[in-house]
Amino acid sequence: MKQDALVWCMVAVTAIAVAAVVALAARNRALGAKKQQSEAELRRQLHTSDSHLHLSRAELQRFRSEQDGTLREAKEAAEENTKAVLKGAASFLQSLAAEQTTLLDGVQRKYGGHAVLSDLLEVNHANAQMARKAQGIAVMCGAPLGRRNRPASVYDVVRSAQGQIRNFHRVSVMQQTALALKASAVAPVALAVAELLDNAASFSQQDAPIEVTFQRAQNNLCIVIDDAGVGMNDEDRQRATELLSGDVVPRLSQLGNQPKFGFPVIGLIARQYGFRVDVTGVSRYGGVRAVVLLPEELWTMEETPPAQEAPVSSILRAEGRSQSGTARTTHGLPKRGARQAPVASVPGQVATPPETPAPERTGRSSGRSLGAFQRGTLSGRNLDTTSPEGSEDA
Amino acid sequence: MPDGPDHELELTSPLVPLFVITNGRALPPDHEYEHTTLVMAAQDAAASARTLSPEAGQVVALVTEGFLSVAEVAGHTHLPLGIVRILLAQLEEDNLILVRRPIPRAERVDRELVSAVLEGLKNRFGA
Repeated sequence: MKQDALVWCMVAVTAIAVAAVVALAARNRALGAKKQQSEAELRRQLHTSDSHLHLSRAELQRFRSEQDGTLREAKEAAEENTKAVLKGAASFLQSLAAEQTTLLDGVQRKYGGHAVLSDLLEVNHANAQMARKAQGIAVMCGAPLGRRNRPASVYDVVRSAQGQIRNFHRVSVMQQTALALKASAVAPVALAVAELLDNAASFSQQDAPIEVTFQRAQNNLCIVIDDAGVGMNDEDRQRATELLSGDVVPRLSQLGNQPKFGFPVIGLIARQYGFRVDVTGVSRYGGVRAVVLLPEELWTMEETPPAQEAPVSSILRAEGRSQSGTARTTHGLPKRGARQAPVASVPGQVATPPETPAPERTGRSSGRSLGAFQRGTLSGRNLDTTSPEGSEDA
Repeated sequence: MPDGPDHELELTSPLVPLFVITNGRALPPDHEYEHTTLVMAAQDAAASARTLSPEAGQVVALVTEGFLSVAEVAGHTHLPLGIVRILLAQLEEDNLILVRRPIPRAERVDRELVSAVLEGLKNRFGA
């Protein structure tokens, strides 16, 4: 009986336990299903948010690049506008400076014997520096550089550049060479050399020398500029090389308040006219050695006749006319000697022998002047001067 | 002033400015080298003329043969008179030329003395 009760008890307990296990299992299953469901839900949500995020990010990227593009365009447009405005102004300045240089040259020649000349020379010097700045700005804005229509010796081109910087007397050109630059290369090389000289002068002591020499290397003609200033460090050198190659052209707005456009200008014109400039060398004074390398297309071996530079031709003509009449020195100057016929008379180179009898009749001086008068009228009418007597006797 | 947008300016002024030719030297006083002052190259000038600037060399070449006046030198070199004076001053300093200055003009006469003489003459001969 007691055993029965125990068995029933155990059965009951087992039944309860089984029921509990079943119930728990069922619950567990339900929970698992629920969990899976919510996990799937969550995953789905995550996925959508992810794609949302992705979309937003792409959009943001698009906006950003669009904005960058717009900014760049705006900057470029501003740069172009600035350049266009400056270009007009610079060209105007440039032509005014050129006009003023021509005017000043005329005034210098006109008042050449006057004490005012020394002031005029100073004004001209200031003007030459202004002209260089105007040229520099014009080049930076893409305006054409002025051009010269006559070839010139490279020596004169360097002297021209020398005149465009402030402390020009510090520059000494050590050699004279007859090698000539072609007309198209004269103005750009002069500007490039002027900028290099200016650079050399501003980065060295007040009275330190700047030496210019010429060298021929293979087919190139080199203008070598040595200064005794502070050299450049590697960073400066690299930056300078980039600018001088013309590959990197800084924006006008990047030039700063005290714009340094020497190197960019050189780079631009060197690329445009086909020569090279290098400043990485070290001069024998420990400063910078700048080399302008001119390929053979830009220069010739021919000498430029220096006399052609002189604008006045009247004296030459007078010389030529009386060439056969008066005795001359080896340099073509009239020789001083015993007094001859009045200087103002028309030279009687062709007709001197036939007219000698005439003075006997009228006296020496009047005969001479009459003869001169006649020679004058004859040469004026371009007649044959062999028979002046005939008309005189008639 | 410019004709077109890309009109290229033609530079007609002399390439080498005059102040470079004189190397910034100051103008000597007028009476130093008058028009009629005569100059001639010194004995050994031709040898050192090669190191001179072309313009100074031209001046030396002009006066190698004999005396030439300052005005003539200016005429032949086509340089303004003042520039020639500066070059001559430089050359004289370097002992490359001989300079023969004209006899200076008589000192300005004493006006009072002259009027006194005139007065005397008037008194003596009547005027």
